[in-house]
Amino acid sequence: MTSLKNIKVARRDFLKAAGASAGGIAALATLGSGFRPIDAAAQATLSQQGTRIAYTACVMCPAECSLAVKVENGVASAIYGNPHAPLNSGVVCAKGASGLQMVYNANRIKYPMIRVGARGEGKFKRVSWEEALDYIGEKLIKIKQQHGAESVIMDAGDVTDRDPYYYLFRAFGTPHTVEHGAICDTPRRHGPKLMFGGKRVEPDIMRPVLVRQPDGSLKNDYRYRTRLIVYAGWNPFTATRIVYESRGTVEAKLAGARLIVIDPAFSNTATKADQWIPIRPGTDPDLFAAVLRYILENHSDDDPFRRYIDWSFLQYSQGWEEFEAAFRSWWNKKDPINGLNYFSLEWAAERTGIEAEVIAELAHTFGITKPAAWVWGMNGIGHHYNGYTAAIIGTALNVITGNMETPGGAIDTELVKSDKGGKVKGDDFNKRDVTRVVNGKTVTGKQEELHMDLFGKWCAAWDDAVGDYPSRFLEGVELKYGPFRGHKYPIKAFIIRTGNPVITGSNTDAWIEALTAKDGDDYRVDLVVYIDTPFLETGLYADVILPEASYLERMSLSDIYPSHQLIYLRDFVLEKMYESKTQYDIAMALAHKLHEKGDSDIKPEDHWEKYPTEEDFWNEALKVAPGRTHCGYPLPYPQYPVNYKLLGTPDSLEEGSVTIDDEKKVIQGEPVTVQWLRTHHGVAVWPMSWGRFDNGGVLKTDSKKVDFVWDYTVEKDGEKQRKGGYAKYNKLIEAAGEPTPGLQELDWEKYPTTFYWFETLWNPYTNPDFARYKDEYPFQVISGRIHHAMSGTQMVDWLGRIPTEDLWMPLNDDRTVEEVIIGPDGPTPTGRKVYIPQQTWSIGVIQMNRADGEKLGLKTGDLVEMETPLGHKTSGKVYLVETIHPGVLRLPFGGGGRFSPGLGKTYDFRDVTPNANAIVDPDHHSPIMGSPIYGDMIVKVRKV
Amino acid sequence: MPQLKESVLDALKTEESRRAFLAKFASAVFAGLVAPAVAGEVAPVQAAAAEQSGLTDEFDATQLPEAVEGEHPIKRMMADLRRALQKPMEQRRWGMVIDLRKCTGCNGCNVACITENKLPPGVTYRPVMTETHGTYPNVARRFIPRPCMQCDNPPCTPVCPVNATWKRSDGIVVVDYDKCIGCRYCITACPYAARSFDSGYFYGDFEGGERQPYELLPSPEYGENRVRAEEGSPIGNVRKCHFCIHRIERGELPACTLSCMGRATYFGDLNDSKSLVSELIGQPNVMRLREEMGTEPKVFYLV
Repeated sequence: MTSLKNIKVARRDFLKAAGASAGGIAALATLGSGFRPIDAAAQATLSQQGTRIAYTACVMCPAECSLAVKVENGVASAIYGNPHAPLNSGVVCAKGASGLQMVYNANRIKYPMIRVGARGEGKFKRVSWEEALDYIGEKLIKIKQQHGAESVIMDAGDVTDRDPYYYLFRAFGTPHTVEHGAICDTPRRHGPKLMFGGKRVEPDIMRPVLVRQPDGSLKNDYRYRTRLIVYAGWNPFTATRIVYESRGTVEAKLAGARLIVIDPAFSNTATKADQWIPIRPGTDPDLFAAVLRYILENHSDDDPFRRYIDWSFLQYSQGWEEFEAAFRSWWNKKDPINGLNYFSLEWAAERTGIEAEVIAELAHTFGITKPAAWVWGMNGIGHHYNGYTAAIIGTALNVITGNMETPGGAIDTELVKSDKGGKVKGDDFNKRDVTRVVNGKTVTGKQEELHMDLFGKWCAAWDDAVGDYPSRFLEGVELKYGPFRGHKYPIKAFIIRTGNPVITGSNTDAWIEALTAKDGDDYRVDLVVYIDTPFLETGLYADVILPEASYLERMSLSDIYPSHQLIYLRDFVLEKMYESKTQYDIAMALAHKLHEKGDSDIKPEDHWEKYPTEEDFWNEALKVAPGRTHCGYPLPYPQYPVNYKLLGTPDSLEEGSVTIDDEKKVIQGEPVTVQWLRTHHGVAVWPMSWGRFDNGGVLKTDSKKVDFVWDYTVEKDGEKQRKGGYAKYNKLIEAAGEPTPGLQELDWEKYPTTFYWFETLWNPYTNPDFARYKDEYPFQVISGRIHHAMSGTQMVDWLGRIPTEDLWMPLNDDRTVEEVIIGPDGPTPTGRKVYIPQQTWSIGVIQMNRADGEKLGLKTGDLVEMETPLGHKTSGKVYLVETIHPGVLRLPFGGGGRFSPGLGKTYDFRDVTPNANAIVDPDHHSPIMGSPIYGDMIVKVRKV
Repeated sequence: MPQLKESVLDALKTEESRRAFLAKFASAVFAGLVAPAVAGEVAPVQAAAAEQSGLTDEFDATQLPEAVEGEHPIKRMMADLRRALQKPMEQRRWGMVIDLRKCTGCNGCNVACITENKLPPGVTYRPVMTETHGTYPNVARRFIPRPCMQCDNPPCTPVCPVNATWKRSDGIVVVDYDKCIGCRYCITACPYAARSFDSGYFYGDFEGGERQPYELLPSPEYGENRVRAEEGSPIGNVRKCHFCIHRIERGELPACTLSCMGRATYFGDLNDSKSLVSELIGQPNVMRLREEMGTEPKVFYLV
């Protein structure tokens, strides 16, 4: 048997080498080592006959669960959860299970294409990889010569397997390597980032967790200790972003936890809540502030029924006194909108629409119930202009009540997940010195200091952020801070991979205007490249389209917000389909091309010579795993010193096959590799512990404490040093003598040193500047993240047939459509007519309170047009229900108005479905970090 | 992987048909007497599947770390399942428990079932129903996954004019696609709307016109590995949930049970007092759908 298999493989390789096969192999022959064949052993597995189970990771959504995929004779036949990854522990959602229809979708991009019509027209022709890469390579080099590499943006999408692109483009010389998170929900992450150096506070409900036992063994702990979970604007059952929060929440409830959901809509998560508190959109900070004030005013150290605050937090934090004083300083001020004292119960009741008694009870319940977690969400807090204040107060609430890092309490999952990426993120390239001539003077600085936001409009942006692309595309960049202050450059190339900003990255029309603006005959953004598996709207505006292999055909790593370190492999499950290539293939081939065309920044020894195979690349990314501080209780490895960094496989750390470097404080085991993961169900799991903030632990602030102050001075070696989350930006601002435009909007000179407060935009109930719109524009508009209908998966038939949460409902009319699918030359009519009977297909709808609808004489299914005070419009069918706050309309995010034929049935109903981003304010961005304000808009409604 | 040589239906076809035939002509009361009176069914006893070489097991639970207390529910249920398989078939009574307090309405079970059984457009075995009550702000919503209830007194089987559907001795109601003439009487008879008709659509019909690779794979249903092709069965047949017999008989849990996001679905042998499902149905909050009809469903809900 073995010998037969070997012969088969050998023959296959021979064919490849000879270039005798069709399609991609022909490209290989002409590209030299641009594309490498997959290694023989891996190829043998992929082409294996019979049935096998392959462990890999999903990307149907950014939860990226670990999967067990059944493959029959080379065809994926069913998708299950991988039980060995504690994150999902064997479960898989509807979307994960329906991945087959994404992988085998008729609308996949199959071949490289180059645009032949105008941008947006959707006319393309099939080209070879060679032609496509030639086109891109030449343009990139020309742009770099004329404007500098910083004129190129590489937006590599939300999924974590973007590293090959980051690596290449940072080497090429641009600091603008971006991930989607930058325009997603940054306000929501701000509190944990500022105060912990983290990102996401989640309840301690990932089960099982692997825990060191008193007898020295490691065991899975399935017990839930949580007594209370508060989800504010967070709907894990439908968003599924943190996958264990589905089973964890219901299991914790059965184990005795209380669940409170604060949301304008009766979400799927709210269906399981002990209490649903509908809240007026954009007033989460008001509620949070009232809860904090109640806790501070009513706490008593002596009364066990009012002992809300656990003062032990002072041991691992700094600056609470300043924070509290700044918070209290508002208490005697009167709010101009209602004449009431800030943060009082009455004040919050007036603004949030929640009765004062309910707020008091909520505050008391959260204060007295331990362990508990106060968790806030993406669409709820992350989409508002003032989401920062909620995120900061929410973080403080978890800290002062003693819930951070206690068993059953709250965890900042960003701080405790495994490190990964290391050298292949390409950070080193960003540290290179570069020289530019600014206002006639030659200036030298770091590559990263050319960043258009970090040294431009939003210097406190984080996570490779780039906010407000459209105006940068139109107006260009002027750096305001750092060594290159005054440097001006245009944005000439936009490369977008696994993203669809035309529909999801703020106002759709603004994006279209920016991508189609011309200087004379030429487009202002000279090069737009779209790299993806599905064909979404942004692709219609691309000059070159590259087919990326689907997630079952490519490799990388994953670990989405677990409670402790674990990492799992995304592995090759299927042979690459059509002419698609992996992200490694594409980045390496483009590196080759740039080198061939004379780009001296691309050196063979950094790229294909350094990482000759895909596995080499990901092995490098794994070298830094788990990379976290060894701390907490029970101590993961009692035999090793505390507060040292752990590196290496769980096996080697367990067995003691390690070297300990006392100087660098590193415990180095055998590095995790792709091969190691493959022999361990695709997953590496290191032990859980709690109390990981003690003595610094996993905290990543300058002080290694929880920071309630964000710009402070310390003396070290007789020298005064500015520290804290905002210190760096304030130094830049002071040096330049000019605050950011966002700060200017708030009338602030600098970023505040501690607690701050400002009002959201477009909210007539909280911001006096907008009160005048109350009567004419009576509806606030919010969006819901509908799992079954995310931007990039609506072509999946199975999901189109499943209604979800009053937002994705079978309200389609009866119609026969002329079918268009994505062919070799882009969108192509097939000549077939497809009949879709009414009420058989879920489409994006406008969720509206029944009483509101009846007042307007509407019934479910009526088509209405929404219009904002800025004149932006979108229309869709109303769905009248009891499950939403009166005066609020909820739309599915990215769930309507979809005009790419690659979207299947969603495209067919684009005229009757609402595009939430058509009505977003294009001119305002959240002032600290520049993310779009998706959730702050008001409209009037008219029946069409 | 070695496929079961013959249909799991075949072994029992003769016996079962006879019993179904008898039941069909018996009154409801009489049927209860007839069933236990049928003796001598020989079940193909399967060895615990994990030990059989070559079987694919999506949930290889054996290598999970030991638990502090209790264990992974899937591991427990698989042990229950494999214990049941050691018994003769007629001594097993497969049942499902769905904890509605834990169902998050994600529909993962629904799609996992569709992919596992290669179901075409228009056919679902396990939809998740949604019930919403109340007036803002006092509203309630419940998600109710609805597989076949595998009734002890199934109203669907006696109406079949060709004996194409019957209840096996382990309680699972099955359909013989070769016999079914597609008259759909059973669809009308089922009080749970748990049966659907295969009208012959393919997903490709709605997108591009070409069949997708996964639709061309044989369906593992009943261990028959039928390739669904134009005009051939199960096109034109009535189809229904069968608790993934093909999986359980090789020691694996039904697709819905494995995938469940809320871990709300439990499966096992109700005749085994030590099984998880037996434990769960002893709780005070258990209910069944349409109890008053006397169908004696083997799907229980915890509310």
